Amino acid sequence: MVNLELFNIVDEIKKVSKAFVVYPKNVNAENAVVLPVMLSSKLLPEMEVEDNAKREQLLLGLQSLPISTQIDKLKARIDMIGAACESAEKVLADTRKAYCIGTRQGIPVVPTLDKAQAAKIQEQENLLRAAVNSGEALRLPPDQRQNPPALPLHLVDVLGGGDGGAQAFPEASGMYSKNTPVSSSNLSGQSPLMQVPGSQLMGRSAASPGGTSITNFDNTTTSPLPYANSPRSGTNIMNTPSPQQQNQQQKQQQQQQQQQQQQQQKMMQLPPQQQLLAQQQFRQSAMQGLGQNPLHQLHDLQGQAQQKFQSLHGQHQMQFSPSMGHQQFQGRQLPSGHVPHGIGQNQLNQGSQMNRHLSQFSGAANSALFNAAQTTPNQMIPNMSATMSSQSLLPRMQPQFEMPGNNPQRSHASQILSDQMFNMGATNTGGMMPLPQQQQQHGSQGAFGNMAQNAQNLQSNMVALQGTPQNHPNFNQQRQQNQQQ
Amino acid sequence: MECVVQGIIETQHVEALEILLQGLCGVRREPLKVHEICLKSGPNLGAVPSEVRLICNLEQTEPTWTVRFVGGAMRGAGAEQLSVLVRTVIESKASKNVLRLFYALGYKLDHELLRVGFAFHFQRGTQMTVTVSSVNKMPQLHNTDEAVPVTPGIQLVEVTAPASSETYTEVASAVSSFCEYLAPLLHLSKPGISTGVVPTAAAAAASLMSDGGGTTL
Repeated sequence: MVNLELFNIVDEIKKVSKAFVVYPKNVNAENAVVLPVMLSSKLLPEMEVEDNAKREQLLLGLQSLPISTQIDKLKARIDMIGAACESAEKVLADTRKAYCIGTRQGIPVVPTLDKAQAAKIQEQENLLRAAVNSGEALRLPPDQRQNPPALPLHLVDVLGGGDGGAQAFPEASGMYSKNTPVSSSNLSGQSPLMQVPGSQLMGRSAASPGGTSITNFDNTTTSPLPYANSPRSGTNIMNTPSPQQQNQQQKQQQQQQQQQQQQQQKMMQLPPQQQLLAQQQFRQSAMQGLGQNPLHQLHDLQGQAQQKFQSLHGQHQMQFSPSMGHQQFQGRQLPSGHVPHGIGQNQLNQGSQMNRHLSQFSGAANSALFNAAQTTPNQMIPNMSATMSSQSLLPRMQPQFEMPGNNPQRSHASQILSDQMFNMGATNTGGMMPLPQQQQQHGSQGAFGNMAQNAQNLQSNMVALQGTPQNHPNFNQQRQQNQQQ
Repeated sequence: MECVVQGIIETQHVEALEILLQGLCGVRREPLKVHEICLKSGPNLGAVPSEVRLICNLEQTEPTWTVRFVGGAMRGAGAEQLSVLVRTVIESKASKNVLRLFYALGYKLDHELLRVGFAFHFQRGTQMTVTVSSVNKMPQLHNTDEAVPVTPGIQLVEVTAPASSETYTEVASAVSSFCEYLAPLLHLSKPGISTGVVPTAAAAAASLMSDGGGTTL
């Protein structure tokens, strides 16, 4: 007998599981023979029990009702379940659409933008990206690049009273126009100096060769500068007490700026070779607020012997840059024979400094220096230290100290310079007041203002400066020796 | 060096983006208010003008200044395959005198802009920064108080990550994988390449802004 029940459901079961096994639990001799027949015709006992249990669960409460009712109720249940499934499926699909995740089957539906709107947005986007990356649409026309009426807080103290840099590019005068943004109040007096063609001076410590002639520079000597080492005429310098004496610390940085600017200007006036050398040293020097302007001094030397001589003194007071020692030595040695006995080695050292400076100047300047030096033989010791310690920014200025005995070529100029420096030191230790008087007597004393500022430094350094050889390492040695003296 | 991508987002969706970034980055947002001054060198400094950006952070009571030089982007076949832009960048803190210094060197003001928005600084494989800001221009010189947006309806989104010449590939992949998380709201691309807005932005923004929905069955 075939169990038609099983036979009927085989097809449906096949959909679910490809194979099913009926495993009889209890096989013994008694039913072994009939087992195959029973399997094919009847559910196994355990299967029958499970079947009954499930039927009971399904037809809970319906057993008592007539069959048709049972059927109806079961159908209703099926329908409800079907409806719930459908609504759930719908919700899932909607959510997927919103998140654009994509349906399990089919193509994801992407919402599209209105074309006009998209074009507008594209245009805006291009504008924004251009503005951020290259500054398009952000540049103000030149006429609007004036000083703003009211600066925001963070720019008030930065820009101060003027915004020269905010000028449009066509204004090539740039830095050195009157509205220079290098806004130091002390520099204001120097602004006339800056009117040298600024384009040549901007941003570079290396001055362009050629450029302005000395006469151009002289044309700016109309307004007196507040610093004694200005390239203005010596008389003008002396008439105004150097403010360096008063505010040494405060003005160091400003003077450094001035020095650098003035040095640049001076560089322009020098021959190209010297300018190159000067450029090297300019970069290397550490401007420590000595307030000297070697450029000024150089200029003075060229134009007016005595006055320039004074400026040279100031240059000597520039900081000594040991690294430049051997580079800057220009082969001139200080002649020791000419040095008056009253003058110590310091004077000689000063002279060597001056030598290097003077070597680049005309002979007339040298002779002028010499004459000036002759008048002040024994007063330069305090100033010597000042000049010695400073590291000149320019190669000329670099104080390269040599042993006096080794320098038979010591020029007069060096003596002159040293003498002048001594004069300054003697009279101006700690103060610049005697300058006016001295200047009248000795034109070469114009640079004393600078020297006095460094009087203390100079004195301490003077000893160190004695007889330094051209090589840098020696300088250190001598320094120690000098200090021990 | 840095890896950088830029994108745009409509202003109405910025809040949703902030929520998304909050979730992705895991750090608090930081307000951003930066006055960026772009300077160009004068002719005295060379034939090719160089550009320097001074960035003044106005968020703190004491403004801090940064100098930033943006160099050229990496070129080559490898660079084109990357989805981010790799470029040299030199940045340094500076004192408030930096503007004066550059003016003294001969630089001139080219343009300036004000960025207002927020930023997230976080770590995700590599250090990354996402800034969402509106870019404002000033009708008068330096007048940050009266700055108006260049594009009122659109804000700029920028993702940057510092990199070096050895690590830029990993950083680039980290940045691009992070950007994929932002795909529902915006697309990011190399600066200079426009992307448009994303069509799903509205829906994504709506879902981010909603309370999460979901009724219990």
